[in-house]
Order: sequence, then C-alpha cells, then structure tokens
Amino acid sequence: MNLFSSPVMKNLEMALDGSALKQKTISNNLANVDTPGYKAKETVFKQEFERSLNAYRTNQQHFAFSTDRPSSFYVKEQGGTTMNHNGNNVDVDKEMAELAKNQLYYQTLVQRINGKFNSIKMVVKGGR
Amino acid sequence: MGMFDALNFSASGLTAQRLRMDVASSNMANVDSTRGRLLENGEWEPYRRKMVVLGSGESSFKSMFNKAVNQNGNLNGVKVSEIKNDETPFKSVYQPDHPDAGEDGFVQLPNVDPLKEMVDLMSATRSYEANVTALNAAKGMYLKALEIGR
Repeated sequence: MNLFSSPVMKNLEMALDGSALKQKTISNNLANVDTPGYKAKETVFKQEFERSLNAYRTNQQHFAFSTDRPSSFYVKEQGGTTMNHNGNNVDVDKEMAELAKNQLYYQTLVQRINGKFNSIKMVVKGGR
Repeated sequence: MGMFDALNFSASGLTAQRLRMDVASSNMANVDSTRGRLLENGEWEPYRRKMVVLGSGESSFKSMFNKAVNQNGNLNGVKVSEIKNDETPFKSVYQPDHPDAGEDGFVQLPNVDPLKEMVDLMSATRSYEANVTALNAAKGMYLKALEIGR
C-alpha cells in the first residue's frame, strides 16, 4: 500500500514541476522580448509512449530501452516562428496566452493534489 | 534552477525596460543640449543620443556550463550589455546669435530624434507591462503552491 506514492500523486507532482518550468521559460522569453538575436524557448512534455517502450528483459543485467528519468519535460528552442528585424522571435501574444493557460493548469493541479490529500485525511480520521 | 527563478527573470526584464525608459527620457531631456561633453581642446560637443543594448546572458559561464551538462537550465533572464552612443552626425541649424554658434553661424544640435524616442518609450512601456503580468502570474502560482496540503 503506497499512500503518498500512488501513480496519481506522482503524475501530479511531475506535472507541477513541468508547469513551474514552463512558467520560468515564459518569464525568460518575456524578459528577452527586446533582446536582439534571442530565440524563444518552450517547455515540452515528452510523449507518454516514450516511457511505455520498455524492452522485454530476460536478464536483470540487460539494459532497458528507456531510462526512467524522473522528469519528462525539457526546454527547447521554438521553431518556425516569425522573426523580427533584429533576429528576435518572441511572440508576445503567444507567450501571454501560454502564461494564462499555464497559470490555470497549475491551479488545477494544485486543486487536484489537495483533493487527493483531503481523501487521505478523511481516511486517517476514519470518516469523521 | 532556484525556487524563484521565474520572478528573477521577470525582475531582470523590469530593470532592463526601466533603464531603457530612463535613457529615452534622458535623450528627450537633452534634445537641445549643445554642451553635452567637454572635448580635450576645451570645446563643447553637443549631447549624443544614447542607446541601450540588451543581451540574454547566454554567453555567461553558468549558461555555458548548464548547456554542456545538458540541464534544463539554459535560462538567464535579460541583462544590459552596454549603453552605446549613437554616432550619427549632429543636426546643423543656422542660428548666428546662439552662444555656441560657429564662425559660419551654424549651431550643432544633438542627434536626438523625438520621434524615435517616443517609439522607444512606447516599446519599453509595453514590454514592462508584459513583464509585470508574468511576474504577477508567477507570484500567484507560488502562492497557490503554498496551499498544497492545507
């Protein structure tokens, strides 16, 4: 019985981390909105299938295909966006939209993780 | 990556944009300053327009190191690289009664263009607002995180 390390909790934690990193990326892009030559960055969540690609191992010493990394998101440069005359490709409207989305997403995650904790609390108190 | 990085990045943006605004204001204030800098021969040179050069700080050691070890940490906010002088020629106006007029009656005036300064000012204001919004969003998220487990 794993009370605090259930898959749901782990996923929520990971998503919170990713959302926080996304917030940092957006802040950084907006700070560099007037920097010549700056290329906008974005946080991407790795596809879930990548982790499910597990090799069938007949021996413990065999390597697994996927390295089970704790984080499944990374920062990369945005591609294919329009470029300014000074080589800067930060799209303020896009960043603002991402900002609003990410904020709501984060709040949703916090709410969900709180709901999870409340359920546990309920059980601990014996339903009282 | 530290805990309040998002706030720090936005703060660096705010500082940079405010500096841009300060410099634009200084340029505007000196639009008629014929005595901006004392030359070595004792003559005065008109005020030269100043420009702020921004850099992303990606060339810093910390940034290079993070890149090398492939961390999710190649974010550095913004920094002011330098304040540059605009080397375009001064405006020349015929005004023989001016105390700084030359032998030919022409006065050298600063190479400040109010139009350019206004555009810079607007751009700085808007960028400043964007950074304030990002800062408030990050603050809201950090506050929300404190509610976990309440």
